[in-house]
Amino acid sequence: MSLLDEITQLRQNAIERIKKSDSLDSINEVRVKYLGRKGLLTVVLKQLKDLSPEEKKEIGAAANKCRVDLEQEISQASELFEGDKAASDFDPTLPGTDPNIGKVHIINQVIDQICDTFRGMGFEIARGPHIETDYYNFESLNFPPDHPARDMQDTFFVEGGRLLRTHTTPVQARELENREPPIKIIVPGCCYRNEAISTRHHAAFYQVDGFLIDVGVTLADLKGALVAFCKNFFGSDVKLKFRPSFFPFTEPSAEVDISCFLCGGKGCQICKQSGWLEILGCGMIDPNVLKATGHDPEKYSGYAFGMGVERPAMLKYKITDIRNFFNNDIRFLRQF
Amino acid sequence: MKISYNWLVELTGVDWSAEEVADRLTLCGTACEEIESTSRYMDKVVVAEVLDLKPIEGADKICLATVNDGASTFDVVCGAPNVAVGMKVPLAQIGAKLVGDIVIKKVKIRGIESTGMICSERELGLSESHEGIMELDTGAKVGQPLAEYLDFNDYILTFELTPNRADSLSAIGIARDLAALAEVEIKRPKVELNEIEEKASDVVSVAIEDLNACPRYAARVIRGVKIGPSPWWLQKKIITAGMRPISNIVDITNLVMLECGHPLHAFDLDRFGSNEVIVRLAKDKEKFTTLDGQTHELTPDVTMITNGKTGVAVGGVMGGLDSEVEDSTTNILLEAAYFNAPMIRKSRRVLGLVTESSNRFEKGADPNGIEYAIDRAAALMQELCSGQVLTGVVDCYPKKIEPWDVTFRPGQCNRVLGTTLATERMVEILELLQCQVTGDEKLTITVPTFRPDLEREIDLIEEVARIIGFDDIPDAQENIGPLFTPSHFEDDFKVDARRTLTGAGFDEMIHHGMVEGKLAQFMEPKVAPIKILNPVSEDLGVMRTCLAQSALNVVQHNISHRNLDLRLFEIGRVYYPPDKNDNWVEEDRIVLVVTGNYPSDWRNPARPNDFYDLTGTMTALWNNYKLPRYELIPASSDWFDQEISFDIQYGGRSVGRIGQFNQKVLKRFEIKEPVFLAEFSIMPFIEAGTPVARFKPLPVFPAALRDIAVVVDLTTKAGEIVSAVKKTGGDLAESVKLFDLYTGKQIPKGKKSIAVAINYRSAKGNLSSEEVDARQGDVVAMLKKNFNAEIRDK
Repeated sequence: MSLLDEITQLRQNAIERIKKSDSLDSINEVRVKYLGRKGLLTVVLKQLKDLSPEEKKEIGAAANKCRVDLEQEISQASELFEGDKAASDFDPTLPGTDPNIGKVHIINQVIDQICDTFRGMGFEIARGPHIETDYYNFESLNFPPDHPARDMQDTFFVEGGRLLRTHTTPVQARELENREPPIKIIVPGCCYRNEAISTRHHAAFYQVDGFLIDVGVTLADLKGALVAFCKNFFGSDVKLKFRPSFFPFTEPSAEVDISCFLCGGKGCQICKQSGWLEILGCGMIDPNVLKATGHDPEKYSGYAFGMGVERPAMLKYKITDIRNFFNNDIRFLRQF
Repeated sequence: MKISYNWLVELTGVDWSAEEVADRLTLCGTACEEIESTSRYMDKVVVAEVLDLKPIEGADKICLATVNDGASTFDVVCGAPNVAVGMKVPLAQIGAKLVGDIVIKKVKIRGIESTGMICSERELGLSESHEGIMELDTGAKVGQPLAEYLDFNDYILTFELTPNRADSLSAIGIARDLAALAEVEIKRPKVELNEIEEKASDVVSVAIEDLNACPRYAARVIRGVKIGPSPWWLQKKIITAGMRPISNIVDITNLVMLECGHPLHAFDLDRFGSNEVIVRLAKDKEKFTTLDGQTHELTPDVTMITNGKTGVAVGGVMGGLDSEVEDSTTNILLEAAYFNAPMIRKSRRVLGLVTESSNRFEKGADPNGIEYAIDRAAALMQELCSGQVLTGVVDCYPKKIEPWDVTFRPGQCNRVLGTTLATERMVEILELLQCQVTGDEKLTITVPTFRPDLEREIDLIEEVARIIGFDDIPDAQENIGPLFTPSHFEDDFKVDARRTLTGAGFDEMIHHGMVEGKLAQFMEPKVAPIKILNPVSEDLGVMRTCLAQSALNVVQHNISHRNLDLRLFEIGRVYYPPDKNDNWVEEDRIVLVVTGNYPSDWRNPARPNDFYDLTGTMTALWNNYKLPRYELIPASSDWFDQEISFDIQYGGRSVGRIGQFNQKVLKRFEIKEPVFLAEFSIMPFIEAGTPVARFKPLPVFPAALRDIAVVVDLTTKAGEIVSAVKKTGGDLAESVKLFDLYTGKQIPKGKKSIAVAINYRSAKGNLSSEEVDARQGDVVAMLKKNFNAEIRDK
């Protein structure tokens, strides 16, 4: 092979290797191998001294062109990888651009969590008017005409003979009136009770109510459903305590305490050293409610439960003043 | 209600600890909220004797008492008027902790060192009495711990009872549940009466005019009573129930009420005014002075006990001042009556009084508990007040209220509870609760009259459940009822809209409906807001008719706390007064409100939040639901600046409004910063329902992008230019985007420069530059002709 051919071959090989290179290091290796002091091109050039002046001129020019070309190829290829080098003037600590995402109100976050859990158990969401009739808020729910809850101190009455619903349970009566079992519903929403506003009480509050009517629904079903909900919402270690209680629209009725998830039931300030937190009310739908809404209590039975939203939210997020929820101070809203 | 632990043990004989009693009762529905030791304020309190009293110079209300506590002698500053030399008193030593968590320390009062404190009953948690220091028996042993001296090692159990359980408003009532849980029989105190020959019916007569208000009235007469303090065993029961011992007669009536739940009343027979008791309804505007000295104006809702001429007591609520038992009283007319519960509720509302008595009657007393109550009280008066009990009860009870029967199916009980209880167990429980059970498969339960809450089978099922305890009812593991239920678009929309709006950098507010009335009228002068008849305060007096009012309140709150940059939204409800057909309309809306600056950083300079933040976000929301565009029609509004005030129109109707608040509104809310707001109904979204996107094939042929900048009149609307360009661009103009707006140096006054970028593309093939140029030429010609536009050179 003539020297000229050798140079052509060498050039081809070098360019091929440059193209295959995937980092500055590998390009550098090519540079050293071909263009370095002991590089292949230098070896070729060393043979020039044995040649005639014409050949020297011709091959020397070819070798030089090969060098220039390869240097250019190498510098071009290197540029591709230049960015890989740590550039000292790039400052990664400058704050990234804030996409500026707002926050869903914590009350709605909690309502969504509760609703999602019950949706997963097959409950449907229903809603109703906030300004209710006495019939749906009380009478259809088996509140005797002179029940203390009807006293002025509990209920807000409005002009025109209606009232601000004191619970979301009227939706139960409304849905029952219009549908045939099985019905499996939860009702989130705002309710009102005439209470002095303080750090722990507000005249307006949110509630999630739920109920199921079908053939053969038992208190054991109610317990099972609430245990499942509480484990999902408060954590799988949570224990439940059912204390018999009284609500006009359920019989038997119970209040449910959960083991305090802040101290694990050992007793702390939040649970007033009792180890338990009162969290919801429940019971088997009173036959009078079924009758009032046109269902045969001998055929159908059902359970119902209801819980406040603020209280679990306050417990879970350690919020100390209920008034924060309605103040909507952005320093509060953005914490959650 | 408070009842002592010892009392419950006395009645049942259970050997459970106070905590156990409280827990077991709570788990059967008789909720015990608190357990307190009776001697909790008596640690380091001992019996001491007052040895000497010296005045303190410059202080006439306090003196210096020298006391001996058996170990040594101290000087104690004392301010009680009744302190005397030789008196035995409770002395709180250094370190004692009294009511209100007051810890006794060595203190200097007027330069005199005081080592301890002589206590009143209130300071020891014994009663509310604070008139003077507590005087102990002269025989009390100096140095003895007070709790030991008083034999007062007990626990006070505080019960939070549900309104249906009238039967548990007494020691026996609570003990009944306790006995049922422990499966023992209750030990009611025995009554031993030695009636004298004289007959009560010869002394008094009883007549009831209104049998609905008062189905039963019974009276006894006790002669020759000696009024004095009650024995300590009796006082203890009264004190632990949170009441105050007064005198033996009054204490006995209170004790019997606390014991069996039946309120009694003792009249001074000699001051009764006649020998006949007549029960009637009060006359309208009749005046009466109750024994607390208050004079009331009555209505026929009030049941009166009278002497035939004037009232002597408000039946079931409170006695009268004129016939009250006094220290000189010797003859007693003892009343045990049964009043109708709803009547008592009305009655106490008229009087504005809630008493221990009214509380029990309004929840429902036992009409047949009267015999025991009146005999028990008479026997105690005989025993403790040297009273002579006349023979017989003068009892007016024309229509006896009998125990009633309820059918009970054990199978149904298991069906409701999800249990497999044996019939025998159910029968046992019902019998422990003093029901009579007859029959086999279908049981007949005869319910005692002290349980008015047990009317139906389901009520009895609840009794079984609460006595076995809910813990013994299994937790079903199957998910019953429908496994799937559909979601409703309205709920999905709200959740999704919240996501979109928070994604757009808006924070969510929540509100209730109650707002200030005058402001509501100011915001919506054409709508009379729904008034709340009994508002919690004036500033929450009506139901809101717009979301803007609450939103401005929040803006004001935040700005006043220096939160100046706000982008907020609410998905909330407004309330309209009913129309002629009594339709009450509640409407859900979205409000967007912005003020201050858009978030800036080191490379994005600050710019104000404004109108276009609202329209841009609205457009995003509209696009999410694939709704046809909304339009903004200039419309003057009470809220907004003349120039920046628009009706939001959608599908040819107004669905809301948008603008910048005018100074009148901002002043009213004490806001100085510019505020922009959009408020619109969610109806367009709800009506349209879930959007279904349809795939459009991606373009195959390349596009050609051309810019054009035109100078037009300042009044020309950019939207019109963009639409016109789109129209002229026709099938070739894939998109038209406004990318620059400029006024200033190079632009003549009254003009503005608008630049749009047009993306030309054909679905049929490659566009040649000639084709694009031709269409661009049409656009230029159109702009010149229709908008009098001058084309700017690049």
